[in-house]
Amino acid sequence: MSEDLPILACRDMSCQISARPKALDVLQNIDFTVARHTALGIVGESGAGKSMLVKSIMGIAPASVRVNGQIMLDGQDLFAMKPRDRARFIGRKVGIVFQNPMTSLNPYVPVGRQIAEACRQHFDVPRDEARQRAIELLRTVGIADPEDCYDYYPHHFSGGMKQRIMIAASLICHPDLLIADEATTALDVTVQKEVLDLLQTIQEQRQMSMILVSHNLGVVAGRTDEILVLYGGHVVEYGPTSEVFRNPRHRYTEALLSAMPHMDQPTHTRLRTIAGQPPSLANKPAGCPFAPRCGAAEGPCHTTMPDMRTGTDSRHRFACHFPLEQTVGPAVVSGATDRGARAQ
Amino acid sequence: MSSPGAPLVQGTRLGDIARAAMPATSMLKLPGGTLFEMLAAAFLVFLVLIALFVDFIPGLVSPKFPYGDFSQMPDLTLNGLLGTDDIGRSILSRVLYGARASLTIVFVATCLSVSVGLLLGMLAGYYRGMLERMVDLYANTMSALPSVLVVLAFVTATGTSVGAIILILGILDIGTYARVAKAGVISQNNRDYVLAARAMGATDARILMKEILPNLIPALTAVMPTLMAGLIITEGSLSFLGYGIPAPAPSWGGMIASSTDLLSRFPVLIVGPTMAIVLTVYALNTVGDYLAHRLNSRERGN
Amino acid sequence: MTGLKPYAKAVSTRILAGIPVFLLVTFGATALSSLAPGSAAQLILGDNATAEQVAALNSAYGYDLPLWERYLKWLGNLLQGDLGQTLFSQQPVLDVVFDRAAVTFEIAFLAMALSLVGIPAAMYTASHPGGIADRFLRSLSSLLLAVPTFVIVVLLSYVFAIVLRWLPATGWANFTDDPIANLWYVALPVICLSLHQTAYLYRVARNEMITVLQEDFVQVARARGLSLSYIMLRHVLRPSMPQILTVMGLSLTYMLAGSFVVESYFAVPGIGWTVLTAVKSHDIPLVQAILSLTVVIFVIVFMLVDIGYAIIDPRVTVS
Ligand SMILES: Nc1ncnc2c1ncn2[C@@H]1O[C@H](COP(=O)(O)OP(=O)(O)OP(=O)(O)O)[C@@H](O)[C@H]1O
Ligand code: SF4
Ligand SMILES: [Mg+2]
Repeated sequence: MSEDLPILACRDMSCQISARPKALDVLQNIDFTVARHTALGIVGESGAGKSMLVKSIMGIAPASVRVNGQIMLDGQDLFAMKPRDRARFIGRKVGIVFQNPMTSLNPYVPVGRQIAEACRQHFDVPRDEARQRAIELLRTVGIADPEDCYDYYPHHFSGGMKQRIMIAASLICHPDLLIADEATTALDVTVQKEVLDLLQTIQEQRQMSMILVSHNLGVVAGRTDEILVLYGGHVVEYGPTSEVFRNPRHRYTEALLSAMPHMDQPTHTRLRTIAGQPPSLANKPAGCPFAPRCGAAEGPCHTTMPDMRTGTDSRHRFACHFPLEQTVGPAVVSGATDRGARAQ
Repeated sequence: MSSPGAPLVQGTRLGDIARAAMPATSMLKLPGGTLFEMLAAAFLVFLVLIALFVDFIPGLVSPKFPYGDFSQMPDLTLNGLLGTDDIGRSILSRVLYGARASLTIVFVATCLSVSVGLLLGMLAGYYRGMLERMVDLYANTMSALPSVLVVLAFVTATGTSVGAIILILGILDIGTYARVAKAGVISQNNRDYVLAARAMGATDARILMKEILPNLIPALTAVMPTLMAGLIITEGSLSFLGYGIPAPAPSWGGMIASSTDLLSRFPVLIVGPTMAIVLTVYALNTVGDYLAHRLNSRERGN
Repeated sequence: MTGLKPYAKAVSTRILAGIPVFLLVTFGATALSSLAPGSAAQLILGDNATAEQVAALNSAYGYDLPLWERYLKWLGNLLQGDLGQTLFSQQPVLDVVFDRAAVTFEIAFLAMALSLVGIPAAMYTASHPGGIADRFLRSLSSLLLAVPTFVIVVLLSYVFAIVLRWLPATGWANFTDDPIANLWYVALPVICLSLHQTAYLYRVARNEMITVLQEDFVQVARARGLSLSYIMLRHVLRPSMPQILTVMGLSLTYMLAGSFVVESYFAVPGIGWTVLTAVKSHDIPLVQAILSLTVVIFVIVFMLVDIGYAIIDPRVTVS
């Protein structure tokens, strides 16, 4: 439980779906750590395996999925635990907010009860106290009249409110890590920002760690310390957020960045989009997963999987045969990209 | 579970559960279905062949006339394989001819209800309005009444005859087929190909027959085996109660009814007709489940 | 949540929807007598009847009137609580039906109660899919669903009444006269009736629970480390109930309408048994009354089902 022990560490993790005629690799060679009190952004296109990664960590991957490798949560090897203990342990240490607030709450159960139930089970908190805690959390996440709302059913709330309630529910056991899997994708644009800001405030105030999953680089910019780019089930780039934004080395990250609107662009310039489709699970390329869509792909890209390399900043890693040059220059994206920058 | 390679075995998605929940025979995946489902389909084919060609089985005696002693125990001769009944008729022969009777009745009744149901359902789904409400009312009404009661009510007035039984059984499922067809049409009404055909001036009849009808076939086929199994049971119940196919024609339900009198002394004699009806219904249900499952997963895939 | 409103709505929608069904069925039942070859009276009296006898019966029961008139007359009588006399015993049809209904209702409700074991069984196997219990109950329920009631009746009475001699095969005692004997006689019919019912309820409940288990909110509950039994009870059971209730409602209607095979085999004097005797004697008024009663039962049962929905589902304002 020492302070410098990372809250979460995935070592050489992989996920396979048992299928016919052959098993499908959804995730391969996933390696990352989340230090205490920091936020990690996980970015990738739809189908990159972001949700699968989150579900594997939480122990709720579908039955047909084999999870291999090592996952250390708060210093404990999850796979060394009995399944029942593991589920309880994860439930106490990690809070999770899923993508769709409309379906994440059970329509048949009052919301207060859904918030309180986890601490009732995990810590035997008496009913009244659990109620008080839930009401307090409802207030924290910005629900008006929390006492009354405790007994309301989910259909009384809007999408944004439901997501706030989900955030409250994820906090009830005082988790050390909060995972938000595309927690705002299903919301209106204006509500998205409110919820993201709420997540960030809560993470900072409660000194938690956070994993912010999104297909949108703009979401993680300014809200995370580190960023991990997933493509076709592989980590293609991983490093400090400011570093990755300023000096993207992998071609896919660069493509993502230039597909992102930024402010010093003249209005009405066309955004660059990434041509082509992400690889399908059934026939993944033999070499770099991005090769079929990469402008710089050459011989080895199609045949050999690139190894992880380290940039000038030793925390910055990427898997590309022909990485972009290190260009320590002005930030690619105008405005702040990481919290250090924002704080200045 | 201590090695890092240990699989996490917990999960809940439908596909996974369906896969996990299949009986062990699913290990033997054959093209199109499990071994079990293939066996069920094969049994049904076998049954149809029996029904068609039972007259040509060499040495098989008539099901209507006594052939040996009363209530003879099974032996290893063809006709005595399942024993003889209370008046000395070959039970095997009666079971096989009973298959012909059951299948014929169910087949004709199903043709009747599918054709009427399909027609009504298509028109109701295409034109909606009053017709749709009538179809719904009919389907609701039929689902409010147990089928045996409906048939018995008719029989009260008409008396039993094969023709009447077929007609009445045919009426039972019209509403269900109509509802399936109607839902299929409604889901297609605004599809591109229908709109395109309409824009090019195709007549309603042409659109219904050429564009819509072909896409209704899978859903109708998927509900058919289960409904046919229901008809087999209804027909069997009627014969058991004495209101089915008039004697001396063989019927499985009637054979079971007559063997109950001898049950305490010759319980073996009930095995033949019981197996026949249970296996048939089981096979139909299995094939029905398989078709429904296939249809569902295909629709989800789209 | 808003007082009695959803319930009042459940009741009124069901009654409104039930009226056309009732009219259709009763009209159909009246029309039955026109299906009879020759005339209804001819069918009833048989071939030896004289022409006068036939004519007398036809006019006594109105079989000589046009269908519409006959039906309106029947409806008019119904409004006065009169469904006519049974053909043979010449008792008021309603009295006979209500007498019999008590017997059938007892069996139906007991069978329904017994079949409820399917629900906890489904909860267990749905939460352990692919396990031994799941595979066993799945095979067993498929098998039971393929065994028609008349086969179950014969097999169980062979085992329990003939081989083991634990239970009587036939006979009847009224509950009010001798409750113990009543339960004794009722045991086999109830078990036979409930087997199929249990298998069906189990099947539907398991599949519905498996579907609910895929819902996001269950994933959330699992991610929060809640125990499986808690998840099943708190998060899965209630969302599965509407579907389960629908199935229960339908089966209850069918069982309340008389279990023909069970009642005739075990000589239980209920509605099904009455229908069978009525069929034999072509007692059209009696059959007509029972058909009408079935529709009324259907409407009432589904009214209760709708009220059940409103209790279970907080969103319902009854559609
Ligand atoms: N139960 C499953 N069975 C088969 N394949 C699955 C299953 N769940 C996920 N997959 C596949 O695994 C891959 C990764 O899916 P995942 O949901 O993790 O993507 P994602 O990055 O979260 O995308 P999104 O942005 O759409 O949420 C996809 O190709 C998906 O089709
Ligand atoms: S490894 Fe080759 S294909 Fe892959 S991103 Fe780098 S240059 Fe492109
Ligand atoms: Mg996702």
